[in-house]
Amino acid sequence: MPESIPAPLIIDTLKDTFRDARAALAAEGVRPRHEHLGWILSVPDTHQKTVLAALDKERALRVLTCSTEDEANAVAAGLWMGGEPFVLMIQHAGLYASINTLRGVAMDGRVPIFYMIGLLSREKDKDPRESRHSMVRYCEPLLDVFGVPHARLEGPDDVHLIPEYYRLAQKRRGPAVVLVGLETS
Amino acid sequence: MAMKPEDALQAIAAARGDAVCVPTMTTSPAWRTIAPDDLSVGCVGFMGGASSLGLGLALARPDRRVLVFDGDGSLLMQLGSLATVAGAAPRNLVHFLFKNGVYHTSGAQEIPGGGGVDFVQMAKGAGYRAAYAIGELSELERRLPSLLSAEGPILVELHTGLAEKTPMTAGMGTPFSQQVERLRAQLIGA
Repeated sequence: MPESIPAPLIIDTLKDTFRDARAALAAEGVRPRHEHLGWILSVPDTHQKTVLAALDKERALRVLTCSTEDEANAVAAGLWMGGEPFVLMIQHAGLYASINTLRGVAMDGRVPIFYMIGLLSREKDKDPRESRHSMVRYCEPLLDVFGVPHARLEGPDDVHLIPEYYRLAQKRRGPAVVLVGLETS
Repeated sequence: MAMKPEDALQAIAAARGDAVCVPTMTTSPAWRTIAPDDLSVGCVGFMGGASSLGLGLALARPDRRVLVFDGDGSLLMQLGSLATVAGAAPRNLVHFLFKNGVYHTSGAQEIPGGGGVDFVQMAKGAGYRAAYAIGELSELERRLPSLLSAEGPILVELHTGLAEKTPMTAGMGTPFSQQVERLRAQLIGA
């Protein structure tokens, strides 16, 4: 049975992920130009709202709220070229809305974008692929069609997937996704 | 008479210094002829994304001026980016809007609202630090030094005619992935 993940655990994991990313960038010769560790590009996701609320108090992570997921993908490309680490936090509906930009930027543009996508309305007792909600049910199949690697965060024990899929995006120079299975706490 | 977009780009190229430039759609073919350098990246394959692409660059590299060469049809596709840019308030971003009133690349169909859409008012309403409309090349040339050194974000609506070439007649140029790679190498090494 999936469990909710506490927001502080996700934020601490993101900080560690960005610290590692900064170290990798430094090894590439990138000089840090900001005091914060990295960027959270967000189109607010109901599923991850406790994380977003906690991020308001964080100085080490800079949140940029975008009007659309299309914008978030394009901003990510600019940050990538400028040597800044980032994560996109969006909702499954936003994935559907921005799939052309994901294709154009992360896939064709080979920009390593790591996404945390909330599965709003996912039922606790159902596999997402069997959800009665189409927006939950179609999410993984859509990612499969585009060949985007993805994994589910089904509880606190799965947060190791955040740095793993972040690094996977970097390694494959393209998109990689973790799906937030239940609303964060 | 509306200015030629190629002339406006020539004027900007002469004044840009080491600014990073983000052309899109009909500004792309002319720009790669005028400024075939490593400090540009075209928004190709995700129409409407130029201002957001420029925003990411401007936030990553506050030490560099970033110039976006947007189109009116393109901006309408992601009009919310005006608010996103204004909210992020990058001091180093100048958003040029080449306003010709049509979707030139797809056959010059009129954009919603035609030439009457007032992007200057929209940018001001969104919270840009300043926004101007310029209809004459001589005025653009005269004002460029101050526009390129002023605190952003600024939107400059340029009233232009149609470009001589579009991505459909001149080709898409270097693939986006290669442009990204090239500009990243330039920026992280600088």
